[in-house]
Amino acid sequence: MSTVHEPEPGRLVYTEQELLASGDYAEPLIANEIRCHGGFLEDGTYLSPRTQHRAPAIHAWKQRLTQQGHELIDIPRSLMPPQYPNVAQAKLLLCNGVREPIVRALTIISIVEGFGAMIRDVRVPKLESLFVEALEGTALAHLTQGLFEAHARDESGYRDEGGHKQMWEAARDEALENPKIPGDVLMRIMGRRQKRAKTGPIFPEIDPQLERMLAFMSQVMVIEIFAEGTFEWGIGLLSDPEISANPKAAGDMVSFIQQDEKPHVEYLRTALSEVRARTIRTVDEKEIPGSVVIDEFLHRILHAMSRNRQRDQRDDLRENLIQAMQVAQDPKTLLEEFDALDQAWTPPAETGFTSTRSPAAA
Amino acid sequence: MDAARGDRIHLDAKPSRCMNLRTRIQRTIKVGWTAAVVWSSYKLPSTARRLTGRPPRTDAELSQRHERTARRILALALDMRGVMIKMCQALATRSDVFPPEFIAHLKQCHDAVPPKPYSVIQAVVERELKKPLAAVFSEFDQAPLASASLAQVHRARLLDGREVAVKVQYPDIEDIIRNDLANMRRICRIYEFFDPQPLALLPLLTELTNHIGYELDFVREGKFAERVRALFAADEQVKIPEIYPDLGTHRVLVMELVGGIKITDKKKIEAAGLDPVDVMQDLMHIYVRMILAAGFFQADPHPGNLFVTEEGKIVVLDFGLSKELPEGFGLGLFELMFSLMTFNETAMLRAFDELGFRSKTGDTKPFLLIARRMVSRSDSGSFEGEFTEEMTSELFDAIRDDPIAQVPSDFVLVARVFSLLSGIAHTLGSRANVLAAMSGG
Ligand SMILES: Nc1ncnc2c1ncn2[C@@H]1O[C@H](COP(=O)(O)OP(=O)(O)OP(=O)(O)O)[C@@H](O)[C@H]1O
Ligand SMILES: [Fe+2]
Ligand SMILES: [Fe+2]
Ligand SMILES: [Mg+2]
Repeated sequence: MSTVHEPEPGRLVYTEQELLASGDYAEPLIANEIRCHGGFLEDGTYLSPRTQHRAPAIHAWKQRLTQQGHELIDIPRSLMPPQYPNVAQAKLLLCNGVREPIVRALTIISIVEGFGAMIRDVRVPKLESLFVEALEGTALAHLTQGLFEAHARDESGYRDEGGHKQMWEAARDEALENPKIPGDVLMRIMGRRQKRAKTGPIFPEIDPQLERMLAFMSQVMVIEIFAEGTFEWGIGLLSDPEISANPKAAGDMVSFIQQDEKPHVEYLRTALSEVRARTIRTVDEKEIPGSVVIDEFLHRILHAMSRNRQRDQRDDLRENLIQAMQVAQDPKTLLEEFDALDQAWTPPAETGFTSTRSPAAA
Repeated sequence: MDAARGDRIHLDAKPSRCMNLRTRIQRTIKVGWTAAVVWSSYKLPSTARRLTGRPPRTDAELSQRHERTARRILALALDMRGVMIKMCQALATRSDVFPPEFIAHLKQCHDAVPPKPYSVIQAVVERELKKPLAAVFSEFDQAPLASASLAQVHRARLLDGREVAVKVQYPDIEDIIRNDLANMRRICRIYEFFDPQPLALLPLLTELTNHIGYELDFVREGKFAERVRALFAADEQVKIPEIYPDLGTHRVLVMELVGGIKITDKKKIEAAGLDPVDVMQDLMHIYVRMILAAGFFQADPHPGNLFVTEEGKIVVLDFGLSKELPEGFGLGLFELMFSLMTFNETAMLRAFDELGFRSKTGDTKPFLLIARRMVSRSDSGSFEGEFTEEMTSELFDAIRDDPIAQVPSDFVLVARVFSLLSGIAHTLGSRANVLAAMSGG
């Protein structure tokens, strides 16, 4: 592998072209007749796209940060809500001919992956002037130098190479044999609308574009980390020969996606940790520690995702699941069995991050 | 095409005899005369200049000419209502095609139609409801809230005290329109006969005919309003007037009175403490939910039909031009936008096919060329989730240039909606990003 990646230990500055470059593959990845990104080495190892320089670069930025004595953001797995329905429940449904909710769930995952492309539209302010410390040779300095773009392309595909969107579709179609897509997936994605909180900025003293960017990156990072649960679920379910028509191909496909996600989590984690290690200049010529800002965002996001959001989604889904179960021979018994397989979960009391601006903190 | 069959109103029928022959002849002469004057005021001077060897007209001269012509057309439209106003409204959305002097005048069609006298309106309502006004309303304003191309809207109060808006069709409007359409078809034929490279106007006219047919059926309109209202029942950001179908007929629509700031009035929106960017986002959410997720929609988001309340709710009115989309259309549209965003040409072709695009020869290449032309017309050279007016008109130009491409009429309607929304977004200093509205971001 090292011959292909040519890692240059310690190198901290890269061009956009380098961060978007892929290594040479012996064989491309074809998923359900669609050419996808990434590919295979001679020995069959899967190689993620656009990682030739991106992987060593992220490693170097991260290493420098820790060597300077700063810590890396760590989101404890205990905060991650379990999948609903879980693997055993999903399997039970499929075995009883209740396919629609699973097809819908897989389709929604693929579409949401595709929306990842919107990260390239994030407006990035002139960061150099907004931080007290220098930014040279950091992940932060490379966000618009290929990191956002590589991320976008990984998620949604680029030109005639499919990305995660197409790979999830392929996994679904291989495992469940080109199922009919329920007509309501887009309605589900748009969901119930949450009332917009008219709170305005949380940190009125910092550049609004910077606040929006950091809040967005924090949100995406948490989603990327929690997505780990989705991958394990996908692999567990789709590689099960009892319900999957093509367990090897479908399970592998999800594990390739899982592998591609590592750089996403890592560059976001590194960049946001770099912000935590720095000082932000405020609009009124004062300063605020980056850690105050990032911890505030992470606290709020983790709190919402592990509580309200999780409860709402479950309630929404459950209604729909019970309805879908009506196609089974004995819906009542099925529901009982289904509920018996549920695992109780209560979110930990603390998020691990301190909020200084929420009403409760005041 | 499809739905029009089942509808009550068939405008492509011959003009009925009940409309006074003199009125018909008068209308025909007026339209014909204006068309002739407009045509000759452009053609004759340039021909004369060519013949006498004088240089072509200057910009200032042309601008003056446009100004005068636009005023003449507007005057005619306001005088004649019906189809002429509909035409002007359609033209006013095409700032890519017509000079600004035109647009400025034609835009007034949205809210500058002179009202019909109260006695006329009262007569229609009483004839339709088969009761005297006082048997249904405790108040009925003599002055209208608005007078539009096909109907006039009055504020009134029901006997139980509820405040309502009553939309009343102009008397004989069906006949007038039938006559106008017949006239226009005649003019189009004459024009196509004389012009060596005619624009294909007749298909446009057929579509217009279908749409006006929908708009003249207030029972249909009321049903769509109710459907859309149900779709947003749980959404506090959206306000759709409640319809009182028991009090209405095909020509009279009684509904909840609503109001607010005109959606393009940025100053007033800001003065109410609202952020125009939020307003635009909410508006996009409404249309994306209707078109992509629900599969039926109000297809007429012109600024006269949209308001914002002081609390920031979006008001959607006028479900005259509403439509149901075929199954899978929303997903197809989503895939098309997605493929445009990722420059994925294989996926573009698949999406075009799903949406019902066909080529007469079976060759799919024209659609790729169309997609490339559209994307190249966006300001960033890539698709960022917004069908801008430029992109939409590029699409239609490309289709017009390519005789083998067949475009589903639903797509044309949807593209027009997004292009209108993009126009509103620009007025508000925002963007009409469909994908962002969908993902909630
Ligand atoms: N429920 C209502 N409450 C308050 N005002 C209304 C209501 N319905 C309509 N109006 C007013 O009347 C005007 C015309 O109504 P509407 O758009 O339904 O008629 P129309 O003949 O279809 O007009 P156009 O073809 O110009 O869109 C609206 O722009 C609005 O100002
Ligand atoms: Fe992904
Ligand atoms: Fe990702
Ligand atoms: Mg209307």
